[in-house]
Amino acid sequence: MLTRRQFLANAAFGAANLVIWPKLTFAATGSDARFLFVLLRGGLDGLESVPPYGDPGYQAIRGALALSPSAAQPAHKLDDVFALHPSFDYAAQLYAQGQFMPVVASAPPYWGRSHFQAQNCVENGTAKPDGAQTGWLNRCVACMPGVDGLACAAVMPLTMRGTAKVETWSPPLATAMNPILLQRLQPLYAADARLAAPFARAIAQQNDSAMSEASPGMLAQQSSKPGNKKAGGLPLMMAAAAGFMGKADGPRIAFVEDDGWDTHANEAAIVTRKLAELDAGLKAFHLSVGQAWNSTVVIVATEFGRTAHINGTGGTDHGTGGSMFLAGGALRGGHVAGDWPGIGAGELYQDRDVHATTDFRSVFKGILATHLGVPEPLLESRVFPGSATAKPLENLVGSGRSVA
Amino acid sequence: MDASGDDITAAVNRFGLGAKPGELARVHDPRAWLNAQVARGADDGEAFAGLPGSLDYLREEAQLLATRREFKQGNPGRRALMFGTMPPATGNGRANAAELKRALKPYREEERKDLLAEAAARYQLATTTDSPFVERLVHFWSNHFAVSIDKRPARLLAAPMEREAIRPHVTGRFADMLLAVETHPAMLLYLDNVRSVGPTSRLGQRIATRLARRGDPDKGKAGGLNENLGREVMELHTVGVDAGYTQADVTEFSRALTGWSIALPRDFANGRQPQSAFVFRENAHEPGLRRVMGRTFAAGGFEQGKEILELLARQPATAKHLSLKLARHFVSDGPPRSLVDRMAKSYLELDTDLAAVYRTLIASPEAWEADARKFKTPQDFVISSLRAAQIDLNGRPQAVLALLKNLGEPVFDPRSPAGFSDDSANWIDADGLWKRVQAAEALSSRVAQADPQPLAFAMEILGPRLDQDTAQAIRRAESMRQAHATLFACPAFQWRA
Repeated sequence: MLTRRQFLANAAFGAANLVIWPKLTFAATGSDARFLFVLLRGGLDGLESVPPYGDPGYQAIRGALALSPSAAQPAHKLDDVFALHPSFDYAAQLYAQGQFMPVVASAPPYWGRSHFQAQNCVENGTAKPDGAQTGWLNRCVACMPGVDGLACAAVMPLTMRGTAKVETWSPPLATAMNPILLQRLQPLYAADARLAAPFARAIAQQNDSAMSEASPGMLAQQSSKPGNKKAGGLPLMMAAAAGFMGKADGPRIAFVEDDGWDTHANEAAIVTRKLAELDAGLKAFHLSVGQAWNSTVVIVATEFGRTAHINGTGGTDHGTGGSMFLAGGALRGGHVAGDWPGIGAGELYQDRDVHATTDFRSVFKGILATHLGVPEPLLESRVFPGSATAKPLENLVGSGRSVA
Repeated sequence: MDASGDDITAAVNRFGLGAKPGELARVHDPRAWLNAQVARGADDGEAFAGLPGSLDYLREEAQLLATRREFKQGNPGRRALMFGTMPPATGNGRANAAELKRALKPYREEERKDLLAEAAARYQLATTTDSPFVERLVHFWSNHFAVSIDKRPARLLAAPMEREAIRPHVTGRFADMLLAVETHPAMLLYLDNVRSVGPTSRLGQRIATRLARRGDPDKGKAGGLNENLGREVMELHTVGVDAGYTQADVTEFSRALTGWSIALPRDFANGRQPQSAFVFRENAHEPGLRRVMGRTFAAGGFEQGKEILELLARQPATAKHLSLKLARHFVSDGPPRSLVDRMAKSYLELDTDLAAVYRTLIASPEAWEADARKFKTPQDFVISSLRAAQIDLNGRPQAVLALLKNLGEPVFDPRSPAGFSDDSANWIDADGLWKRVQAAEALSSRVAQADPQPLAFAMEILGPRLDQDTAQAIRRAESMRQAHATLFACPAFQWRA
């Protein structure tokens, strides 16, 4: 930690340096386990991301839009029923190494098809949109003494809101700061009951900013895809999260979000592009997080799946069961998880959506219990209150590749 | 009426957009000042003179698409050459792409120019207007009916929607604003209604027949229902998600909305000039009765959907939903129930008249309590800074646009039809406060050098909310620029109090 005098001296030396990639500081922790939660807002179509090409109902429902390992643009075959979307090149490699796993027909406990209500449930960790004012991942951090959280977002998402120490990070403004102004502001903010604490944290982060140190994640991201100028926000933010998480004293729990998944029209092209971004994000995260990959689990979730049938505009409307993804070196992956309800005649939920057979909370609880070591009583009482029916999934982590 | 300094500051800094120099001194009766603005309606002045209308923007887009199509027909891409499906033309694919880019360049430049002109006019008016309460209401409704320009087709139309559908009705009937918004091309494109086709409409049947003849069972190519607009009108724009409607209501309403479309590129072909940006396409409209929220609506083309909108506008659930959002915006994150109920009552009694709702808000004691305050969103912060220092954008809004993006509230780009959050918890955090201090520095560098009396300046902006310590800090500023930066960055300036 720099002293104030060093800080001011550095500032005088080159004020512009102050604002480049603040190095957030986090408490040291005994545990090595890391967890990243990626929320895709808008509702990713599970039948598109993990096409059940072996289900006889699939071709009938999706027609010319159906994906399969034998198509001109081949999907990545996972087993005799499921494949991964063609954009998932890197995820398919991870799958082969047991480090990637889709959970099909999964959903939060709310099945009402509203983006915002469903996202609230995914974020607050209850069955009701207003079931909690704090986020489950913040409550998880609160159950892990010495562990800090990080939300890579310009504004604090509900998932990470609460009493535990969580910081937000987003790419900074390129404006030089006058250290004298900061000195003047500090007593003023100290006197504002609501703003004092966040302002003090902001100053602490900046004081500790290592001179001109770029986030290692950003560098890895930039070098991992030479020539790819169009890499979207998701790879950049996942790489940044990895940059922080990879450090010995970095945050153990982090959150990244993305939007643009609400494919009511021309779905095939949009999903192809967006899943390529997610795939690039996984790769950028892996490359940037370094050795810590081996003790990391990533969960990628979306608020709901979409209608099984294509609508009138080459897209799909809001549905129920979708696919979530797990990745990471600590994962026991390499198979497709979740009970598949089928999508043939009479098998759809309300004759419309993929039925959801796995409650998101079962997956979250399984990871929190076995990977992060959150004690089970706390899982039930604090992190996911009222979730007794959602039993934690087992065997999600651990050495060796599991057999489906 | 009590005209304490606190009430005047609340009127100017909480109901309005933040004080301009001299504004606090000019307001003698804060309630009368607000009511007079409601009576005047939106201040358009000359701010938007010369900007294209939605129909012009649709024509521009049609011309761009036509140019691209002509180019592609004359210059087959590399793919077509590889597969031998087209006679070889000059150049390879890469050269073609560069040529196409060149051909489209004038359109892209025009588009960029238009986007900047729209933003410049919006923020210039916000900086200077003498009706800042109504201007805040315009921004409020624009966010209520959010159109996010990250969706390409809606990109040029979000700003005109605010001018054409929100402003004219901001002090009128909500039902009229609702109809203007849901028939605006920005909303019809953003929520995918343009190509929503009634399955048994003439167009729907023709498409089905054609596909069947081709032996192509894929319904995805064209012709069918899209319920995006119908759902969001109910959930976000009117009754709200807890109003008890069902999936069947959403589907029925969406059927009623089929045929609500816009002037498409083909309508501009061969020099044709459509008269209106909104087009009702009878041949895509699903025929028959519709049943929505327990009421039956006779078949009747465009009128059917219009009647359902009118029903939705008049629902008690809509009155409550809108009143709660307004009270939360103007009073506090958790506004008193009594206030919300009173506003909702005015709304229903006066046939969705928004002016009546605003007058009730202004007349309610709850709106003037000492603890009524809101944390400024990034947009509030930037606009109040522009107003305080009367920063002239000179038609160049780029810096403001970049700043708002960095602060987490990019203009017309909430990435969701729910709009930006109006809850302090979303905006108060360390990273956000830090960026605000940085933004204060950036904004202060754009202030034209003025009368160097920093303390008098701060008092003109914060009035009685300028506390001793903040006054001291501003007095000690080593330059006028630092005085501005200190004012913009100080905690008292971060609240609409």
